Amino acid sequence: MVASAPALTLPLDRAGKKEEDRELVRLSQNGNEAAFEELVRRHQQRVFALVGGILRRPEDLEDVAQQVFLKAYLGIRRFDQRAAFSTWLYKIAVNECWDYLRKKKVRPLVYEADLSEEQVSRLDGIVSADRPPETASARAETREVLERMLSALPEQDRQLLVLKEMEGFSVQELADILNLNVNTVKVRLFRARGRIMDVYRRRMVSGGKAAGSQSAPGKG
Amino acid sequence: MASEKDLGNSGCRNYEAVLEDYLDGALGADDATAAEQHWQNCASCRNALEQAAASVRILRLAGRSDGPGPAFAPTVMARIRSGEQDRLIERAGFWQPLVRLGWRFAAAATIVLCVLVSYDAGWGRRTQRDIAAVRLNGVSDLFAPDPANAPTNRDEVLMMVAETNHAK
Repeated sequence: MVASAPALTLPLDRAGKKEEDRELVRLSQNGNEAAFEELVRRHQQRVFALVGGILRRPEDLEDVAQQVFLKAYLGIRRFDQRAAFSTWLYKIAVNECWDYLRKKKVRPLVYEADLSEEQVSRLDGIVSADRPPETASARAETREVLERMLSALPEQDRQLLVLKEMEGFSVQELADILNLNVNTVKVRLFRARGRIMDVYRRRMVSGGKAAGSQSAPGKG
Repeated sequence: MASEKDLGNSGCRNYEAVLEDYLDGALGADDATAAEQHWQNCASCRNALEQAAASVRILRLAGRSDGPGPAFAPTVMARIRSGEQDRLIERAGFWQPLVRLGWRFAAAATIVLCVLVSYDAGWGRRTQRDIAAVRLNGVSDLFAPDPANAPTNRDEVLMMVAETNHAK
């Protein structure tokens, strides 16, 4: 039975988010619901990013993310804290994504890799401006164009680039989550970068932009 | 540790991991200086770095995805609480299948008992009726010994049986 949730007071002088996570995990293991809710709040953004990066199905994103935290809650008493809570949670998230895709017998949503002339022009504008769009709608458009471009890559390359560059996961985190050697992640990332730039150049050429024009990246 | 030997494109060992570390800012100051010196003389490594740096710039323009709304955590906790209740109910109902089985067994046993009792009662009534009928009709029991005319030998027994059958 879930214990009643007393008011959560964490020592403010405790240094480091990981240390705080450890304390929250310990409290959660003792049935403190408020501690677990705080863990959910702390990690929901990254779990969303991770699940979204793998599934690319916005309609199922929230459901799968909730399922991740439910599984974490059910398993938290068995979590021995040898790894960071975030690593353990992200592994649950990755497994949940694969389970979900297998059960639903669906593939991650695949955008059509080809960009329209308008999208190529928009991409050129974004890259020329060299700063993220300010409005939410423009950011969403930019993301859609970039995700279309990323769809031309093999799935693992796409996931690595999305999680690393768009969602801000570190190489070490990616290695832990995907059960890969750190060096392997670095090499795959680097090769994926080469591939995406090939795609970018091809799109720009087919969109009527000369490769190597002033706005093309890679020269600075 | 990146050395001059570690860097370079096709001919440079481990260049991908070193370049990735450089992009990530994970190379130490000495290693980064050594790498930069190498790139001044190695065009292929320099090109690879420029491509990779450009990809970082482009992809980061998208920005991070939007997180869940403020209702996410309370929703998760509500699901956890309802799940806990379900589990409690499930745990309380651990013996439920055995209890259900017990009830079924008791019902079956009652039915069998009723059948047996009613059968026995019916049989008993029929037997009593038969005895009463025999007494009423004065039919003697074939096998009941008649002390007055008790046969003394085998022939008399046979004769008595034959007479009785004939009389019927």
